[in-house]
Amino acid sequence: MARTIQWISRPEPGTDHRAPTRHVQAGLGLVGIGVAAVLIAAVAGYGGADQIAADPAAAGSTRAWTFGLTVTGFATIKTAIAIILVGIVLGLWRRVDGVKHALRVLKPAGRTPTTTGPFESAFGSGTATASPPRPLAIHTMAKVLWLPMLVMGGMAVAAGLTAAIVASGATGDALRQASAWSQGLTFLGETFLLSGISLLLGTILAGLREGGAEVQADVGVTVRTLDMPASAKAFIALMAVGMMIGIAQFALYVNLATNLAADPAAFSAWAAWLGPFREAGLGILLSGIVLALYTISRVLGFQFSRIRDIVATGA
Amino acid sequence: MTTLTMNEFDLPVRPGHRDDYLVDVTDHSLGRNLPQRVAARLWAPMLAMALMAFLAAVVLAAVRAGLVSDADPADAATIARLGHITAGVMFIGFASVFSAITFAIARILGEFRSGGGLIQEAAGVEVETLRMPATAKAMIAGMMLAMMLILVPVALHFVAAGSVVGSAEVDLLRAEQWFDRLEAVRRVGVSVYLASIALGLATVVRVLRFQTVRIREVAGSRSVG
Repeated sequence: MARTIQWISRPEPGTDHRAPTRHVQAGLGLVGIGVAAVLIAAVAGYGGADQIAADPAAAGSTRAWTFGLTVTGFATIKTAIAIILVGIVLGLWRRVDGVKHALRVLKPAGRTPTTTGPFESAFGSGTATASPPRPLAIHTMAKVLWLPMLVMGGMAVAAGLTAAIVASGATGDALRQASAWSQGLTFLGETFLLSGISLLLGTILAGLREGGAEVQADVGVTVRTLDMPASAKAFIALMAVGMMIGIAQFALYVNLATNLAADPAAFSAWAAWLGPFREAGLGILLSGIVLALYTISRVLGFQFSRIRDIVATGA
Repeated sequence: MTTLTMNEFDLPVRPGHRDDYLVDVTDHSLGRNLPQRVAARLWAPMLAMALMAFLAAVVLAAVRAGLVSDADPADAATIARLGHITAGVMFIGFASVFSAITFAIARILGEFRSGGGLIQEAAGVEVETLRMPATAKAMIAGMMLAMMLILVPVALHFVAAGSVVGSAEVDLLRAEQWFDRLEAVRRVGVSVYLASIALGLATVVRVLRFQTVRIREVAGSRSVG
């Protein structure tokens, strides 16, 4: 059977469960850098508004580089969020080992018969099995793809920042061309970064499913697993739509840069709707992230209730 | 001497005596705290509002793009107004979706708080609940600051749209200047929202570590007992 690529290694047995991971410190440090970059760009952008009447070219230059720096700042904070999420994945596996260790002691003695098949719970419908269920394809995909997405996102944002710097020194057709590249690339990068974060949340859901089943199997009780909730399905759909918008806006900006930069009227008309369109794409990806987080809270609620049942009744 | 206080659930709470974490000790699970209960109710309405705002902003942008494409000088004021209104509506969407994310993280923290307590209760030991960490307090403060940094510019976008009364060059110039200034403030708001989300996730990491330590302690006390 093909092994799944694992970018996050499960902590070795015997790892000190009290020791903090470095992900939070690293992540919060990056957050500080990202916020500082956005603040610098905002102060310059606010002041640049006064230049519009006196020196439109200087105002255009300020707009170009502050846009690039702002999006780079956002990208830095999103990378920081991804690093902290990796810390959560590792923390969840430590928790799985801790709960396994505890349930061996806390579970009342005696065996209860295994009852398999579908079941209903306060947290949604699920399936009871005698052994851990197979991983879902979408979880396997999430575990493999989150890191490539983040890397591609970082590269696209860096390329967009370079185009923004080029745009800040350009005029006329060259300015429009570089500006279109800058906007298309940075938002493609933001799309990939948010998709990487979404896939990391999928990795957390995969860890909860695998870890929850592992804990139950370890103490010899029926393995109860929630079926994929509607919120998780909607999360996947929103992520797919957001990604498609992110890629489509990039293709349209490439068209602007290569075919319409010499036609200011057409360029302005396209830019008028492409800006909000690309922002809506990111908004849809963020909406998917909301649903992923909600799904995680539901699964956690189910798992706490399951552990409590095992401790209280042994079944 | 043990100090007893009452919490919002009228459960007697004793301060814990640990070197590693600040905890409250009770006989029963404390359940979700007030911010977590509010978050559990508000995440869905916020998400719905965000999706509606994104759709409305895209429609407004399409209408504006049509006017830009017509290139009729008589439409210049309407184009400037629509630019402000579109940005205002779009960022109502972003403020809503970032709030929904923060609320969803608070909901996760609520599950840890109530679920961790219920397991300790079922094991028949004292229930230790982690006190709200500094990162969680910073998350709440950051969210409120970020919301103001986005919603105040949003309100001013609508004011600016209303103040474009004609197509005179001076009016259009002022509208453009206001747009750039408000955009700068909105961007800071977005970065603060993202930072508060990072703080919320950092809180999850801390809670996970505490619960891992605590469940091993519960098992240890039972095996010794």
